[in-house]
Amino acid sequence: MLETFNFRVIFEYLPLFGSCFLATLWLSAAGLVGALVIGTLACSMRIGRHKLIAIVAAAYIESIRSTPLLVQLFFFYFGLPSLGIRLSEAATGILALALNSGAYLAEIIRAGIQSISHGQVEAAVASGLSYIQRMRHIILPQAIGVTLPPMLGQAIVLVKDSALLSLISLPELTRAGQIMTSERFMPAEGFLTSAVFYLLIYYMLKWMTAWSQKRLIYMQA
Amino acid sequence: MERYSVQRAMIEFKNVHKWFGDLHVLKDINLEVAQAEVMVVCGPSGSGKSTLIRSINRLEPIQKGELVVDAMKVHDPKTNMTKLRAEIGFVFQQFNLYPHMTALQNVTLAPMKVRKIARKEADDMGRYSLEKVGLGDKLHQYPAQLSGGQQQRVAIARGLCMRPKIMLFDEPTSALDPEMINEVLEVMRNLAREGMTMIVVTHEMGFAREVSHRVAFMDFGELTEIAPPGEFFSHPKSERTKLFLSKILTH
Ligand SMILES: Nc1ncnc2c1ncn2[C@@H]1O[C@H](COP(=O)(O)OP(=O)(O)O)[C@@H](O)[C@H]1O
Ligand SMILES: [Mg+2]
Repeated sequence: MLETFNFRVIFEYLPLFGSCFLATLWLSAAGLVGALVIGTLACSMRIGRHKLIAIVAAAYIESIRSTPLLVQLFFFYFGLPSLGIRLSEAATGILALALNSGAYLAEIIRAGIQSISHGQVEAAVASGLSYIQRMRHIILPQAIGVTLPPMLGQAIVLVKDSALLSLISLPELTRAGQIMTSERFMPAEGFLTSAVFYLLIYYMLKWMTAWSQKRLIYMQA
Repeated sequence: MERYSVQRAMIEFKNVHKWFGDLHVLKDINLEVAQAEVMVVCGPSGSGKSTLIRSINRLEPIQKGELVVDAMKVHDPKTNMTKLRAEIGFVFQQFNLYPHMTALQNVTLAPMKVRKIARKEADDMGRYSLEKVGLGDKLHQYPAQLSGGQQQRVAIARGLCMRPKIMLFDEPTSALDPEMINEVLEVMRNLAREGMTMIVVTHEMGFAREVSHRVAFMDFGELTEIAPPGEFFSHPKSERTKLFLSKILTH
């Protein structure tokens, strides 16, 4: 078996995998940043006092979570142009990833905020801190500590989901495997190489989380 | 023990009412607490003691009547609450410290953010407040590293660090193990001696007897009896007060 596994071809395709690895990295990073912004916004809308805005946020979160990412991606890729909105492939991909993960992050952030004891918030109110100051100094720092592990989980899902962007012909890691497969007919080598690079990103994320968690050790009081 | 002479009214309730939905929790409260006065409030659970002192800094808004604190109208929605709250330290039963901050950070946050004091000066004030409650050696400990009694003392220091005119205590020793109660009461005794205006919801009758100027009994949302401690304990007027005292003094 193994003698037919062709390492030489992998080395030959390494530059392609390298550039596609970088593409997956930056598409995912951009998607994640967008998801964080959208998720924070959606969460504050959802738990805010304004009823109508809360309903809009809840509708967004529900509809994303109840439909496949692939359908969402195709909607943005094929649907938006038919409505007259033209975006580049990369922008479409990032938008789909950000909107999708944003809905999950909104719920993660909400759970994090709600895990903070009401008593502390009350103590902050009693000492005269404003809503913004309470958010900035009391709620968010702790919510981030509590939500870091589930956020890491979502970030890993997002990286894996970015594989779907190969379907709108973005040159990312999965696409690299496809290219190698179709040019040399070596699916084992091609997709295994893709998988190794995904594993690399996974360990990077895990390491980053462990590092930041160490600095937040006292927050789990 | 020497007690500060009592001066102008610092807190004044006039015909104050409060409802939670249909539940009438404060019924026609009339009460004046003078500057430098120490008042203890006791009464059965659910009688409205917490609501009473939480209304003073509008943690609970009142629906009827007038409530004037340090010449500011708490009942008036236009009153600047930030300014009022800066003058009132509040100590909770459950301490409610910020777990992600050290003791020093806990006590200096509000002085820096609300009073806009520079970090260096706030740190000095924070150190001084923590020394005052006997925790000068715990400045950089997190709440989780402190005992219950120490945490509650940090909470008191957090109030003091704002240089408040009033300190309110809502059952500050009820959540503590018995051996830690006294260290907290000792800090409160010292505050009283220095002339801090205080309202203390507590069932520590030794503290009431020794430190307070007056003791109030709260029952079903009403202040049914207010008297100096000597009189309150030796000649309680109503049967309900007698019954309550017999219950808490026997154990
Ligand atoms: N936020 C609230 N919503 C509804 N009812 C409340 C609330 N807080 C307190 N109550 C009710 O008001 C009454 C007085 O409560 P409280 O002031 O906490 O009494 P105490 O401190 O004397 O035990 C109780 O019946 C309590 O259940
Ligand atoms: Mg209470």
